[in-house]
Amino acid sequence: MSWPSLNLLGQAILSGIFIGGLYGLIGLGLGLTWGLLRQINLAHFGFVFLAAYLSYQMATEWGIDPLATLLVLPPLFFLAGAGMQWLLARFEITPFNSLLVTFGITVVIESIIQGIWTADFRRLETHYNDQKFTLGNFYLPVPELLTLLLSVAIAVLIWAAMRYTDLGKALRAMAQDGPIAAAFGINEKGMSLMLAGVCAALAAVAGICLALTFTLAPSQIFAWVGVVFAAVMLGGLGSALGPLVAGVIIGVSEAVTMAVTAPSWAPIVSFSLLIAMLLLRPDKVGR
Amino acid sequence: MLEVRNISVYYGAAPALWDVSLEVGPGELVCVVGPNGAGKTTLINAIAGLNRVRSGAIVFDGRDLTRMPSHLFCGAGVAIVPEGRRLFDQMSVLENLELGSFISAAKAHRRESLALVLSLFPALEAKLKNPAGSLSGGQQQMVAIGRALMARPGLLLLDEPSLGLAPLIVSDMFRAIRSINQRGTSVLLVEQNVSMALGLAQRAYVMEEGRIVMQGHASEMLERPEIQKAYLGIEAP
Amino acid sequence: MNKTVAAILATGALMASVPWLGLPAFYESLLYLGCHWMVLALSWNILSGYSGYFSFGHGAFFGIGMYTSAGLSGNLNWPFLWTLPAAAALAALLGIGLGTVVFRVKSVRGELFALLTLAITFVVGTIVLNTRIDGGPGIYLNAVAVPALGPTAPASLYLMALAAAVLSLLLAYRIQYSKLGIGLFAIHDDEDVAEVMGVPTFAYKLIAFGVSCALAGLAGGIHALFVAYVTAGETFNITVPLTVVLMSVLGGTRHWAGPAVGAVVITGLLYYFTAGNNPVAGRAAVGVILVVVILFMPNGILGYLGKARRKRSAPARPAAVATAAPAPPAPIAQVALRSSEVLLEVRGLSKAFKGVQALDRVNLQVHRGEILGLLGPNGSGKSTFINVVSGHYEASGGLVIFEGHQLTGLAAHRVAHAGIARTYQIPRPFAHLTVRQNVVLAAMFGGARVSQRVAEHEAAQWLEFTGLAGKGEALPDDLNLHQRKFLELARALASRPRLVLLDEVLSGLTPGEINEAIELIRKIRDRGATIVFVEHVMRAVMALADRVAVLNHGKLIASGPANEVMSNSEVVTAYLGAAHA
Repeated sequence: MSWPSLNLLGQAILSGIFIGGLYGLIGLGLGLTWGLLRQINLAHFGFVFLAAYLSYQMATEWGIDPLATLLVLPPLFFLAGAGMQWLLARFEITPFNSLLVTFGITVVIESIIQGIWTADFRRLETHYNDQKFTLGNFYLPVPELLTLLLSVAIAVLIWAAMRYTDLGKALRAMAQDGPIAAAFGINEKGMSLMLAGVCAALAAVAGICLALTFTLAPSQIFAWVGVVFAAVMLGGLGSALGPLVAGVIIGVSEAVTMAVTAPSWAPIVSFSLLIAMLLLRPDKVGR
Repeated sequence: MLEVRNISVYYGAAPALWDVSLEVGPGELVCVVGPNGAGKTTLINAIAGLNRVRSGAIVFDGRDLTRMPSHLFCGAGVAIVPEGRRLFDQMSVLENLELGSFISAAKAHRRESLALVLSLFPALEAKLKNPAGSLSGGQQQMVAIGRALMARPGLLLLDEPSLGLAPLIVSDMFRAIRSINQRGTSVLLVEQNVSMALGLAQRAYVMEEGRIVMQGHASEMLERPEIQKAYLGIEAP
Repeated sequence: MNKTVAAILATGALMASVPWLGLPAFYESLLYLGCHWMVLALSWNILSGYSGYFSFGHGAFFGIGMYTSAGLSGNLNWPFLWTLPAAAALAALLGIGLGTVVFRVKSVRGELFALLTLAITFVVGTIVLNTRIDGGPGIYLNAVAVPALGPTAPASLYLMALAAAVLSLLLAYRIQYSKLGIGLFAIHDDEDVAEVMGVPTFAYKLIAFGVSCALAGLAGGIHALFVAYVTAGETFNITVPLTVVLMSVLGGTRHWAGPAVGAVVITGLLYYFTAGNNPVAGRAAVGVILVVVILFMPNGILGYLGKARRKRSAPARPAAVATAAPAPPAPIAQVALRSSEVLLEVRGLSKAFKGVQALDRVNLQVHRGEILGLLGPNGSGKSTFINVVSGHYEASGGLVIFEGHQLTGLAAHRVAHAGIARTYQIPRPFAHLTVRQNVVLAAMFGGARVSQRVAEHEAAQWLEFTGLAGKGEALPDDLNLHQRKFLELARALASRPRLVLLDEVLSGLTPGEINEAIELIRKIRDRGATIVFVEHVMRAVMALADRVAVLNHGKLIASGPANEVMSNSEVVTAYLGAAHA
């Protein structure tokens, strides 16, 4: 263990914040469906990566600006997400079985990705990659900054919608007591479809950000599962801002750990937090 | 206004209600009493759309509600104050009330309705921002009634509102229910507190083991020995 | 020797002859993989399939086994075969240690347990990678001598895996039909009820976890030599747990052979696709299969076949149990009708839930041989009373004394062993066990704690007593409410309790069924049990109760002979409201 320079530490913290933002963005959709629909949707990760690859494809092969894909992909994924929810709702599956089924779907998506784009690493090269702002001694790369801004903006938007709009309140009520919510006019089926669609759209946004900031490979899909789950469970299921805050905390802890010890120690941070959370405050997680 | 015609409700293979019929006229206050396990909650849940009816019909305001999906009952004019209140505990009192007026017909008049509810239950004004679960039993009951009123229903269903409440609070609450009825809302009340229920209602039905065994004007019913027997098992000397 | 055991051993012996058939080494490796996955899937199922605690951490224990063998043989030069028991033992120890902590936390079940165990995998992996156990470069086993069990090295590895597979099959089979297995299946369906019926849930889960981890460790140890180069990244990931889940779910988690079937099918499928040069399509197929199986065949292949077989044979099976009318069950205890001996006493018993005082310093005595009716308006605390006395809930204050022994604070299964049984207001049978098995379980684990054979005999008698003799092989879901209530009764009685707590046994029954039930309850008391029953059906209370106790808002407001109590003005007020007092 050697203490790095203050500069290096600061840059590490900054990169931890950035990746935390991405954890939060990915975790947002996952946490909403888990908290409000009682489904553990592993297919979320499949959607994220599929959107990432599609965005890569559109930018690389067809020359579309990646930011423009933000207008195209989320609506498409909204339909896909609602469609998947519609199909799954026809079978009344337990939360655990939803974990297994969506895992199967993710495996299928991963295979399709590998079939189309092969297992080679793919890097989305855009003019954004080299751009960065400087803040004193620190670098703020544009793609990462963009991701963070999007993540914060979307989380705040969703938080506000859940808090202040009738629709948001209806969703929360539905999650607490479905039958009574129905007795006051809240259509559970319709709401679930809409929510699933929104979360899939969020996955698409996260995927586009992922493509901008990381190198893609099909084998990477499951590498994110653990840390994003940790962010969701620490931040609170069904919360809009929670996963973001938790994600940043995890990201910064990981970055500092990596700077101070070795990169290979990083996973222990999120997973230990997760284990501690489950053992000490299980009532705060799940139902 | 409300016509329940020969409904039967089953839980799985077991019958919970047999061939039950009752009526509530416009502006009437009708109560249903009976011992526990008699099926009163099952009945009221069926009328609110929370239980599926196996046979028979529920007709409200001329519309047949029987096969409608649950979430359309509120729009048809039926609102329920469920047994045990079943508030959205983690949401604020105000949010609970707002959700009562979720349907578009009620949403348009939300502010008016809110004013009405607060005039009926002034104690809630100070608690609007508090989570509903943090209120006392009596206050929670007020919120539950308020929530149903926000839907501007033609028929208000109340399932054992006095459950677990101190007598003084129960009196206040029943006064509020009377006031609501006097404004023109029909009320169907299921109660364990027989004397108060019969004191409030115009007509009454007595249920036992899934059937209606007696009906009539409330004032006469209290004297009848059948009620003593059904509740206390004592034969009149 | 049992037929199934003989069949397993014979198949094992047959398969062991393969290496001498002179097939190319490729097939031996394939067979090795089949056996390898069999061991992993079967061992996983012993905990997760049987008890319902789906673990996503199987990879951690597999990895521990791998590294133990690799480390001991590669770095410390132990002879390889000696490393295998060490691998199994270490994995088991760590598993039991983990279980001791995790199984105590009541709410970590289902998907939370799955996520916790997944997290464990990554933590262990990271520790292994970063410390001297591995340190980064991995461990090479090229220098380790493969024990010469067969003509070639791959053959020897195959034979080791085969032996492990046979061992796993035998263990899975024996456990399923043992007392441990029955207890685990009960835990799967309803852990809280199992505990109340007398199953020592904590101990059983630990045992299952230990066995499961030991076998995983064994498989890992053998695999270390197979791959000959062990790295943390390849070992501690999500692949192993997800593959074993898939194999077990595909084959059927409720059958001891299910995971083996699943392992063979999936290994075959993957081979087919790899050989056909399309591994990607192979993975896609695996994913599709998982989705299809969960949605359409949630009980797996064997579960589906079992169901079909049951449907076909059902009509042909009458009361398969006793041919002659069985003698009425032996009296439960010496009958001393309405003695004044105190069987159960509660003193100052209180129970609070988040601000609601459900029981408020209740003092009550129940005399041996009496029928006591426990009454009160809705929400007065009657069910809570039963829940606290039976150990389902922990009391917040006060004492529960039964036959002179203090029961307060004991785990529910010990309360059951002491001789107390209860029914649930809404019947909670073990949904995946047959009617007969439900009753057998109560006899085996409850106060009587008889052997399995005696329990089967007892179950037959109690089913006859409650009129369910013809329904022994049915599942609880196939019964109507009346029958399910009587199943609750049979289950409560099978443990030969001295005190029976009945929670609204009559609610929902038709008048005719109520009369039957009243007769039955009388017969139960005549056989020597003391009964406390919660009821709302007044005519039943008047007909049955020697004494009556009335609760209101958690407090005891009256007790004594029924007629007196029901005329008590406080009681009348509680039920009818103030106007009547």
